[in-house]
Amino acid sequence: MKYIDTIKRAGRSLKNAKARTLLTSLAIGVGAFTITLSLAAGEGGKSYTDSIVNANTSRTELLVTQKQPPASQGPQEYNPQAVSGAAGAGSSTQIAFLSQANLDTITQLDHVKSVTPNYNPNVRYITSEANKKFVVDAIAAFSSSVTGTYAAGSVEGGLSDTEIVIPEEYSKALGFANASDAIGKTVSLQADKLSSPVTAPQSKAFDYTVKAVSSKSGLAFRTQTSVQLSAEANRELYTYINEGTRAYGNFLLAAVEIDDASKANDVKTVLEGKGFEAQTAEDLLGTVNTFINVLLGIVIGFGALAVLTSVFGIINTQYISVLERTQQIGLMKALGMRRRDVGRLFKLEAAWIGFLGGAIGAGLAVIAGTIANPFISEALDLGDISLLSFNPLAVAGVVIGLMLVAVASGILPARKASKLDPIEALRTE
Amino acid sequence: MTYGKKQNAFVALEDINFTIPDGASVAILGKSGSGKSTLMHAMSGLDRPEQGQVIIDGQDILTLKEKQIDKFRANKIGFIFQSFFVQANETVSDNVSLPLEIADVSWGERKKKIHAALESVDLLDKIGNKAKNLSGGQKQRLAVARAIVNEPQIIFADEPTGNLDSVTGEKVEDMLFGYNKENGVTLIIVTHDPDLAAKCDMQINIKDGRIESIRDTNTGKTIVATVTDAEESK
Repeated sequence: MKYIDTIKRAGRSLKNAKARTLLTSLAIGVGAFTITLSLAAGEGGKSYTDSIVNANTSRTELLVTQKQPPASQGPQEYNPQAVSGAAGAGSSTQIAFLSQANLDTITQLDHVKSVTPNYNPNVRYITSEANKKFVVDAIAAFSSSVTGTYAAGSVEGGLSDTEIVIPEEYSKALGFANASDAIGKTVSLQADKLSSPVTAPQSKAFDYTVKAVSSKSGLAFRTQTSVQLSAEANRELYTYINEGTRAYGNFLLAAVEIDDASKANDVKTVLEGKGFEAQTAEDLLGTVNTFINVLLGIVIGFGALAVLTSVFGIINTQYISVLERTQQIGLMKALGMRRRDVGRLFKLEAAWIGFLGGAIGAGLAVIAGTIANPFISEALDLGDISLLSFNPLAVAGVVIGLMLVAVASGILPARKASKLDPIEALRTE
Repeated sequence: MTYGKKQNAFVALEDINFTIPDGASVAILGKSGSGKSTLMHAMSGLDRPEQGQVIIDGQDILTLKEKQIDKFRANKIGFIFQSFFVQANETVSDNVSLPLEIADVSWGERKKKIHAALESVDLLDKIGNKAKNLSGGQKQRLAVARAIVNEPQIIFADEPTGNLDSVTGEKVEDMLFGYNKENGVTLIIVTHDPDLAAKCDMQINIKDGRIESIRDTNTGKTIVATVTDAEESK
């Protein structure tokens, strides 16, 4: 018997038992729905984390700290490069800093383009012509390789040493009508010189032109409330504030820019060999990725469970079908249909059920996902990112996979059908 | 012919020995339980007795492998059953197409053959109808079409008119005998109806698994044994 004829006959048999076919395939459809959505979420999650990487850091950037002494009980030996701090009851810890000598060492390493310490200048307040004063959470160094989202203005071409990027919330608070109104205006940061005597405190206002206003992004960790200045402007501020203090020239953190993203791990190894601790972009997002993968694993597990349940549904349905169609099977065998073809007929019926279930489930998943995407993005504040991204190949893979599962579950009933004795089957009472 | 294995072996048919000429119409007569259906199953290769020979075209079909027997049935045998066994949910055309699909007949050929078969049983106008919408007589005619569509050498008919009233039964009988005469196809009818048997060239009476008598209808001569048909006619 030709394959195409068997497929057609299998399809017709199912059409004659529409309700049963549909219900059986719905069971497998639940699995298809869950698995398709999980795969879409996995795909979306991957691009989501990618966007997070780009919004916060760069793949060519490593964050380096001095190797920290282990926190231990009891008194610790004094480390001239460290600052003591309490780390819970009964123990004390010292935080080791990077010295200028350390930074120079790092600069000498292969693949390292530049080393920018995290100046983190601590200013007193930010103000504008409206003369309102606000506390600044943090001042970050602008990096062109980090993708930001901007409510107004643009940072293309970089940030000069007299320009500033302020968060959207500050633009309103500082008295500008809206974000675009702030562009080109002057704001100033008031910095105190720490080494000045208490009796004669020195303070200075640093003026900057607003180049852009950063907007809130669901992805960025640091652009939300921090003001951004160029690295050089950061250094100027830092120098003014800290020069002459003991802490001057010691940094907790430095950003190491390398020339090749694929060398990030090599550079990390070298740095660790020299007594530093380094984190690559992947390290930073490792926890996020692990979390997403665990969640996906759970959801796919549920989908697999649904598929497993539907396997028994298919076996049951096909067994009943064989019993019901004993005469038909007997006739086909009497007419010379071979065992293999009879078995194939029932396996193909199972395949049809799998295809139907897979197509229904995956189709509904695509529809539901497409509808839900904007709402999810809005609820999670993801901007333009779709958390559920459907890959046609993956969807097709799910459908084909479920067809194979269905065929596998059809093997037992098919064997029963192929072993039927035509004489017994055609005996009429 | 012996059935079953080892200690379960039993003899269903014994001392059955006859020859059917090509193109003849033969009735196998007997009461239920006499072994006439078993004989038909053995002759058509549906059943496989432990001992005995069924020689068709010089070939003992009992020595064939299962695959070859399937092929033999698909290409050389047509079946008609008392309960029709047409597929109610399928169309007339799909019902007739089944033996052709099994025998791997090409698409173009199939269409022609289906048309010819339906035409000869006078069902061409019902070609697209579902079989369940046919009357009993039409269903059996459909079964006849299915039996002849692949131009078999032998047609086995198991009580072909058993479920039909006499008028429609006669119509089906006429079709079968007409096809038998016109195409020289061997027709083997299993029945307990002596009137139907009387229309055949040859009548084989079976009782308790043995041949009671073989009679040539045309000459009226009894070839084997001598027993009156009186008790059969009840």
